[in-house]
Amino acid sequence: MTNSDTILAVKGLGKSFGSLVAVDDVSFTIRRGEILGIAGPNGAGKTTLFNLLSRNPIVADRGHVIFDGQRIDRLSPHRIFRAGLARTFQKETAFFKLTVAENVRLGAVYGAGLRGAAANAAVNAALEMLELTPLKHQEAGALTVYGTKRLMIASAMVASPKLLLMDEPASGLNTIEQAELKTLILRLRDQGTSILLIEHILPLLFGVSERVMVMDFGRKLTEGSPAEIARDPRVIDAYLGGVNSESAHAA
Amino acid sequence: MSSVIVAGLVSGSIYALIASGLSLVWGALGVFNFAHGALLMAGAFVAWFVSDPAGLDLGLTAGVLTSMIFMIAAGGVLYVLLVRPWLGKPAAELTVIMTTVAGAMFLENLALYTFGARLKALDQVVTGTVSVAGTAMQAQNLLVIVLAPVLLGGLALFLKLSKHGLAIRAIAQNDEAARLLGIRIERTYFLTFAVSALLAGVAGVMIGGLFNITPSMGSDPLLRAFLVVVFGGLGSLPGTVIAAYLIGLIEAASSYYIGIYWTPVVLFSVLILVLLVRPNGLLGRAP
Repeated sequence: MTNSDTILAVKGLGKSFGSLVAVDDVSFTIRRGEILGIAGPNGAGKTTLFNLLSRNPIVADRGHVIFDGQRIDRLSPHRIFRAGLARTFQKETAFFKLTVAENVRLGAVYGAGLRGAAANAAVNAALEMLELTPLKHQEAGALTVYGTKRLMIASAMVASPKLLLMDEPASGLNTIEQAELKTLILRLRDQGTSILLIEHILPLLFGVSERVMVMDFGRKLTEGSPAEIARDPRVIDAYLGGVNSESAHAA
Repeated sequence: MSSVIVAGLVSGSIYALIASGLSLVWGALGVFNFAHGALLMAGAFVAWFVSDPAGLDLGLTAGVLTSMIFMIAAGGVLYVLLVRPWLGKPAAELTVIMTTVAGAMFLENLALYTFGARLKALDQVVTGTVSVAGTAMQAQNLLVIVLAPVLLGGLALFLKLSKHGLAIRAIAQNDEAARLLGIRIERTYFLTFAVSALLAGVAGVMIGGLFNITPSMGSDPLLRAFLVVVFGGLGSLPGTVIAAYLIGLIEAASSYYIGIYWTPVVLFSVLILVLLVRPNGLLGRAP
């Protein structure tokens, strides 16, 4: 199943909350240097899948996860982070009364376990990468929405992860910022970081992803190139709630 | 005039040390520690017991050092026994008020039972009088005035530059996000209580060198510290320090120029007026 070209291999991952199956037998792989997009309607289990992969804040009931040749589904969240799998969160996890640099430093010190000069160097590199250096002494609360998004990415990138899980990074951004984010995501990929991207803004998702996996009701519905996904009737049904198929039957 | 300023600075220094510990706990955990005054008392009693000829007679240095170590442990134990069991449960803030009030009563009565009601006092670290800018004052007063800003500066540097200080500030703002980042919340809460208790212990030793040591000696400073924390802005360390010195100076000036019985009236009038204009305190921010 896994080879040296595979950075992440997920097999039969599942999570239930009582009788609700939030993630149901999901399997997929990501190649090194690849951007794999994840699409699906609200409640499809996308963010829960991220939570299970990072074991933060919940853990899977079943299945296993092999990251960079190592099984990680029993590691603690900070060990997973230090192994090279970082994530950003859908909700804002910035500390608004801390400076931009202090926010990233928290990721370096607590997430990546760096100390002293190594932490300082990692913080400066992450700030530079996300073009936040001029704002490093500013309180995070004074940042724009896009600035906050970049700060959250910088806090994750401070550990130089091999794989970055990004949860709806474009939510709340205008079209110009979305275009900048697209460039940024591609740049992160070009610098060697594989990316697993959840995004509702499909032009952005399809514009950066080599492959797209679609989820619905906690299950993996399908997987393919953006062009294949865009014309897959099951995907259209999942997004439109069956309107398409009902229309087709009516016709 | 100069004696009023000295008295205000001494009071302000002690209030700042007590209130900054209280503010630290409030900022990080969102609970008010009513046993903070009793911790102050415990710090003074431990220093007295270790140093005084009626106790272990090991000298003041040993007494102060033992007290500081004891306070770090006491703060952690207080957190584990009286606060941690209730965190995350409904109405935790109210329950913690009850548990810490109970803890304060237990400590005060334990001190009364163990050491008796007879008034005690610590030896002064420095004795005699000194003259600063033409103003004569007790050397111990000058030590308090100088030492408090040094300790508060150390606290500010700890919070600003150290790994654990950064964690305390992060948790104070967003504990859920801090947990997601891998910060060990419980360990940081423990540390916060330990630092807070250490500051209370230092204040207890200072008060013990200037006034009497009694089981109830922490009650009035706790009330003052509460006023300071609210006046300065909940959870704001700079606001707390500024408020502490302002209240110390207002009290001293009012006692000298108007009369000691009118001091509460003057103090509360000023506090209420300021809070009417700035409901979140001097440097507090709207939640």
